[in-house]
Parts: sequence; structure tokens; C-alpha cells
Amino acid sequence: MEKTARRKKNIHRKVLIVDDEFINRQLLGAIVEREYEVLFAENGLRAMEKINDDPGRISLILLDLLMPEVNGYELLEFLKADEELRRIPVIVLTSDKSAEVRSLNMGAADFIPKTYDAPEVIMARVGRSIELAEDNVMIQEAENDELTGLYTKEFFFQYSKQRDRYLKDVDMDALVLNINRFHLVNELYGRDYGARVLQITADCIRDYLDRYDGLGARCGADDFYIYVPHREDHGELLELCTQKLSSELDNSSVSYRLGVYARADMQADIEQRFDRANLACSKKLSPYLNTVSVYDEKLHETELFNEKLMNDMDKALREKQFVVYYQPKYDIRGDRPVLTSAEALIRWVHPELGMVSPGAFIPLFEENGLIQKLDRYVWREAAAQTALWKKTYGITVPVSVNVSRIDIYDPELENELLHIVSSEGLSPREYLLEITESAYTDNSTQITETVSRLRADGFRVEMDDFGSGYSSLNMLTALPIDALKLDMKFIKNICTSSKDLRMVELMMEIAAFLAVPVIAEGVETREQYELLKKTGCDIIQGYYFSRPVPPADFDKLIEKEKNDSKEESRC
Amino acid sequence: MLTIDALRAYGADVEDGLKRCLDNEAFYLRLVNTVIPDTKVGELSAAIAAGDLDKAFELAHALKGMYGNLSLTPLSGPVSEITELLRSRTVTDYGPLMETILSRKAELEELAK
Repeated sequence: MEKTARRKKNIHRKVLIVDDEFINRQLLGAIVEREYEVLFAENGLRAMEKINDDPGRISLILLDLLMPEVNGYELLEFLKADEELRRIPVIVLTSDKSAEVRSLNMGAADFIPKTYDAPEVIMARVGRSIELAEDNVMIQEAENDELTGLYTKEFFFQYSKQRDRYLKDVDMDALVLNINRFHLVNELYGRDYGARVLQITADCIRDYLDRYDGLGARCGADDFYIYVPHREDHGELLELCTQKLSSELDNSSVSYRLGVYARADMQADIEQRFDRANLACSKKLSPYLNTVSVYDEKLHETELFNEKLMNDMDKALREKQFVVYYQPKYDIRGDRPVLTSAEALIRWVHPELGMVSPGAFIPLFEENGLIQKLDRYVWREAAAQTALWKKTYGITVPVSVNVSRIDIYDPELENELLHIVSSEGLSPREYLLEITESAYTDNSTQITETVSRLRADGFRVEMDDFGSGYSSLNMLTALPIDALKLDMKFIKNICTSSKDLRMVELMMEIAAFLAVPVIAEGVETREQYELLKKTGCDIIQGYYFSRPVPPADFDKLIEKEKNDSKEESRC
Repeated sequence: MLTIDALRAYGADVEDGLKRCLDNEAFYLRLVNTVIPDTKVGELSAAIAAGDLDKAFELAHALKGMYGNLSLTPLSGPVSEITELLRSRTVTDYGPLMETILSRKAELEELAK
């Protein structure tokens, strides 16, 4: 209380004293003016004038009830009828018990007995009423999201907790509703339109809440939180929203994602329950359809597993738990496939979890930025290995390493790569870089510049996962690259799907047009190999030749290659 | 001239009244001085005599607040009493109570001379 008073001390406030008795006005005025600016009115009519003269500036009214002209009750009614004025707290001055009740019912904040209390008591009551009223205004403003009128997150959690305390035995569902590609809605149709979409969605949520007795909030741009008694199916909510959007905005392109955490564990915090619903909602199913995903333990386990991986990464780097495997690439243009290079592939030998697949941890590290550290680790290992092979066997088997999207934006990238190869006594010609196609489409100017510089330094750059992104032919011709690496998924069905085969042929035509070799990865069978050879593929990587292997096993591949080529030259 | 001691001798709860005036004696005396020429006591008497109990209640109610706030106990006591009777519009003989009020008002006026 004292703290609040101090906090608010420097705000100027006006108190209006309305009493027909001169003595009372004088007494109250003398008391109140020590902390407030005081205005006087001798009856309700004069009070209305004062209030209108000073709109929004009166913090409190001290009001006598029995007065000539307009009396206290009439003034209370006048205030109550007005949206703004009803916020002004009124303390009624009365000596009559029944009047106290009546005035409190009419909206008075408090009363002061007519034979006044001690000045301290009056000041405390005045201060308290002003504080409550001001807090109330602030709460009202903070409680509801301005755009949709739903609760804001903090209040939503607060009220949900309150609800849990009173309705302990009801099974509750935590739902998170998200609008698919909402930023595109804003971009395509404008922000006002986006706002309408949010409002209509909120209206439907309100209907749903009324129907099933729940609470709802807007949290963040297009995230809605809903807390309702359990239902087997919440699809109805999505239908409501879609129908209303199409009838009011004639729009059927907006779709929703609903994450459901059904029969939420009441032992978990409310925030945790919504984290789980959020997790279900973040599962991207289709960006174009209404989808519902339900949180289950497996999802939770995946989340925990991911969390563990992220927490363990720094230690893993320090303790060299990451090992680099090498998968050979063979040139198949001649009669005999020739070992031409390798790709460095990371493996995580986790002390508790065993071998963790890159598919499990790479996306996580891409998300939190740790991928850069990991990339550099692989770069150094690969360079050191290449140098070792060169020393051992007298030949260079260039190793390709992955350059992540985020690395492209690192101004130090070029220097770091140059430093890594030169410190192993290699030239950039002996080192290959793989950059995924989709990175090219992010920011083609930046990447073109970066790749051009790297190539000018002597590095050779392979475009990875070609066919998975959206490169335009126009962009491709402008791109400085040394090889196209076909996306694995085309190779997978090349023997059974004529469409995929046709795609591969097309991509090879593009490569021919660009005059760069084509590398096919994920080649597993003899059939695939032969088909690819027939269509003119240059280089092949995949289980058909070898899975990714540790350096010691790769040594054998090099030795075999040396022998084979010796044989060949002898023939 | 009106003094604090005279008011105390008159029976006013001076300490209580002063408290409401933030212990400012001059302010207290000034306020008491303003109620002395007030004519509501006479009007109350007239309203009762005329049988206008509504008006009498309003006047008594106002006086009660005034005297009460200044802790003029000799007056606020009987004025409270008459206010409560008038609030319920009790039909009774207001004469004796009114007499007390009039005489105590006269006493107060004497103090100010």
C-alpha cells in the first residue's frame, strides 16, 4: 500500500466534493487538498457542469446524497449511464445505513459516515478508491486483447487456474489454434483483412466457448488458446471458423491447425499443458487444409529427446562424441566405376543413447544455430582426413562437406574455410562444398556472391538436394556451381515411376545445359545404377557401392581403387 | 469572541472537532463562526410548526451533519435525535426537543458575541 502510494505520488489528481453544506465542503476540502487538487460543487447540477468542464480529469467524487436541484442519487445515475464517467469512483457521504446500501448498489465505491471520520481515515479511503479504480482500468486494458476481445495470455492462465480450483473433477482439454500461413494472408490481402480474419476467428471461438463453457485467449499474432471441458472431437470449431470466414469474407483459402492436448494432466502447470497443445499444433501437416493433431506421449518423448540432444551438444563437441563417416562417390562414365571423391557425414555416438542419426539432430541444431559449430567440426575433421589419405596413399580423395544455410551469411566463412584447408596443407581444389538448393532460393544475390568468391578461391561447389527446392531455370544459369547433386527421393523410385525417371532425365538435361556433372545419391540397387548410367549420370553415391564408413574402412576402398587402377593400366 | 475554551465550556467535543480540522484552531473557529448565523434551526422550527415533516427532515439532516462534523455536541445530540424521528416521519410532540435545540443554539450565539 505504502509502495503503491509512493509509486503514484507524482501523478496529479483532482477530487470533486459535492455537498450543499458549506461547512462540509470546507472540512473535506481542507482534508483532501493536502494531496489532491480540489473542486467544489454545491449540488448535483453544478457537479455535472464541473465534470463536463474537465473531461477525464476527475479522479474521485465525494458525494453528499441529499441536496437541492440534482441530488446525489441522480448524479450517481448520470455517471453510471456514461461509458467513461462510470469509471470515476464515487464515495458517498451519508449517515443513513439504508442509503449506504442503495448507493453501493448504484455504483458508489465506498461511503464515509456523515460525521466524518478522522482525516487519516478519509484520506485512506479516498486513496484506496482511486487506486482500485485506476488498477481496474489498467486491468481491463491488460485483460483483453484489443483486437479480438479475448483474454490476453497472462489473464487467461490466471482465470484457467482459478477455474481449475473450483472445478477439480472436470476433464479439461487444452487447445491451440493457429492460422496456416497467416503472414501470407497479411501479405496477400493486407493487414486490415488479416485483422478481420483474426476477429472472425475470435468470434467463432467465443461461440464455441459459450456452447461448451470454456475460456479463450489470443496469444501472439495468430495463436489462440482455448481451455474447455473434454470433448471427443473439436473439429466442430474448425468448421465454425471456416464457415464464418467463407460467409463473411468470401474466403475459403484460410485454413487452421488445431493442436489438442486432451484430458490434460492436472498435475502439470497450466502453462505446461498449453506447451503440449502447442507442440501438437506445431506439427505441420498440411498448410492448406484444416488439420487437428492430438498431443500424445510419443510426441512428448520426442520433445524430451530433442531437448536432451540440444542440451548435450556442447559437451558432445568437447568430448568428440561426433564422428565423421565417409561415403564414397564413384565416377561411372567409364567401363569401371572409379572412386573419385567422398562425402563427409556426421554421426553422433552418444554415451547414453548410442548412435543418433543425423536426421534427428541436424534439424535441431539448424534451429538453434549450433549447426555452425558442428559444421566447423566436420570441416576440420574432413580436411585432416583428406590430408592424411594424401600422405598415406599419395592421392587426393576430395571430401565434400556441408555448408549450412546460416554459414552463407557468416562474413568469416571464406576465411575460415581457407584457413582450414591451408592448415592441413591442402589447396582449395582438394576440398568440396555442398550447399543445399533451397539455400540458393533464400537470397540468391548473397549466395551468388559468396559462392563466386569461394570458387574464385579454388573451392568446388556442389548444389545439394537438387530438385527439392524451387530454383528457376533463369536463376540456375546465373549460378556459379561445379556439380548438381540430385535429390535422393527422385532416385528412390526411378525404376518404378516413369515420372521420376523423366524428372531425373530432365535434371540431367539441365546439368548438360549448364555443363556440369550430375551426382546421384541414394543409389541402392544394381537396377538403379544401370538405369542412371544409361541416362548419362556422371557420379554415383549410395549403398550400392558403400554405406558411409569410418576412416579405417574407407582406407580399404582407397587401397582397392589403387589396385584396380594399377590392374587397369597393366592391361 | 468565540474561543476554544468557551466552546469546551459550552460542551463541544473540541478535541474531536479540531482533529477533523487538522488541529488548526483558527480554521475550526472560523467554521464554527459560519454556522452561528445559519438560519436552518429557525426554519426547522417553522417547518415542524407547519407540520411539513419532509422539509423538517431535510433541514434536520443537514444540521446534523454540520454540527456533528464540528463536534458541537450540545446541538448535534438533540439534532440527531430529531433527525431520526423525522426520518420515519414519526407523529409526536416535537416541542420539547425543538426547545432544547433552540436554547442551545442561542447559547452558542451568546458565546460569539
